[in-house]
Amino acid sequence: MNKKELPSDDQFACLIGRLNLSSLTGAKIILWLVAITVVSFAIGFGILAITGDLSPSAGHRGSPFIASAMVSPNTTVFALDRSTAGAVRITMGAGELTVHGGAPAGTLMESRVFSTAPEWQPEYLQSTNGTVMTVSMTDPGHTGKEWFSVDSPNVWEVALAEDAPISLDAKLGAGDCTLTLGTLNLTGLSLNTGAGETLVDLGGYRGEVFSGTIHQGVGDLTVRIPRESNTRIVINQGIGDLETRGLVPTGNAYTTPHFNPAGANTEIFIHQGVGDILVEAI
Amino acid sequence: MLQTESEFIRVLKDRLEGTLDPAELDDIISDYAEHFRIGKESGRTDEELFGSLGSPDDIAREIRAMHLVKRAESNRSCKNIFHAVVATLGLGLFNLVVVLAPFLLLILMLFVVLMVGVVFTLVGPVSLLYAILQIAGLPAHAIWLNPVAGFFIATGITTLGLLMLIGDYYLARFFYRAGIRYLKWNISVITGTEENP
Repeated sequence: MNKKELPSDDQFACLIGRLNLSSLTGAKIILWLVAITVVSFAIGFGILAITGDLSPSAGHRGSPFIASAMVSPNTTVFALDRSTAGAVRITMGAGELTVHGGAPAGTLMESRVFSTAPEWQPEYLQSTNGTVMTVSMTDPGHTGKEWFSVDSPNVWEVALAEDAPISLDAKLGAGDCTLTLGTLNLTGLSLNTGAGETLVDLGGYRGEVFSGTIHQGVGDLTVRIPRESNTRIVINQGIGDLETRGLVPTGNAYTTPHFNPAGANTEIFIHQGVGDILVEAI
Repeated sequence: MLQTESEFIRVLKDRLEGTLDPAELDDIISDYAEHFRIGKESGRTDEELFGSLGSPDDIAREIRAMHLVKRAESNRSCKNIFHAVVATLGLGLFNLVVVLAPFLLLILMLFVVLMVGVVFTLVGPVSLLYAILQIAGLPAHAIWLNPVAGFFIATGITTLGLLMLIGDYYLARFFYRAGIRYLKWNISVITGTEENP
């Protein structure tokens, strides 16, 4: 920059005058900061409230942050070896459980535990019976003080193989559970949750027919099934609203629009104590 | 046990040297010398005068404490208020409770507010950047459940941090003034010179 391009003091004064900064007293700055703070928090938390992300029951303890964003997960992989099918059993005391497809090729399961503390690591048990590999992932339980540990977002994310038939048995005491199983090939599904919100998404499922049971104690449950599948759902609900979308009521059950009882079909039994149920064919 | 007026004056001078200005020290010493002179003229003995004045060590402590409090009042600094508090503590064990404990609590409170303000002021812009990256579609940097909400919340955190820093400054000033008044009142109560309201 040559000397001519440098702004003179007069030019700075002119700029200050244009921005009207000279009238910004300490009190005005504080008032502006207070206003910005209040408005920003109101808008931010308002958006979270409207989108439902603020609810403590949504799996993030009322925080606007993703619970596991700051924690590097411990990853464990179970190779299929010579097995051609799998049985996965997950037992979690309390926390957030996510199960989906997308395990690395040649593996039955890849689990990611978002905690580095040893006391928060699940116990794994692996066995093979013929061509079926069974993997158990069990929460060892915790003493009271560990729930307040700095490493305590008890968040498990499990990816399962998409090319091997899998029987999934998941138990969760308290917390939110999201099963996105549309890309899997299931031979059985058993889900048992105590309290929390649960989503079982079978959208786009192209695998074999299977029999599934969902037991939920308290909390809202959403089940999505593919509209074109041959599926029958039996619902046994205690207290709460039941909403179905795209399903046909048949006796005490609901079926997909093109349900054929003579053909191979998927059956899902839902038992719920308290909470709303939404079942939709998508 | 003091025997003479000159010994009393010497002890008092020794205790106050280095704290008071020479001129101020001379004024105080001459006041006490005058007190002795007037007392003797009215027929009182040295023992009686010593008894009415008290120990020169106690007198020096009180003068020193009041001097340091006044210095902290006229020249505000952490060092001066610290010296004033320490000098006031020397006036009696009771002050460990009524002076030191509140003083430490205030320091702790101001420190906590300062630290929280600093953390918010630093974390706010960083989380704002994360929100912007997340809005821009960089999932590797996803920390917010809702990045748009995160943008506003991060802005709020930043400005709240700045407000806490500013608030801490004004709180410190307020407590400094209140602390000086409290120390003065404390000294006046201990020395028995408290004025009735």
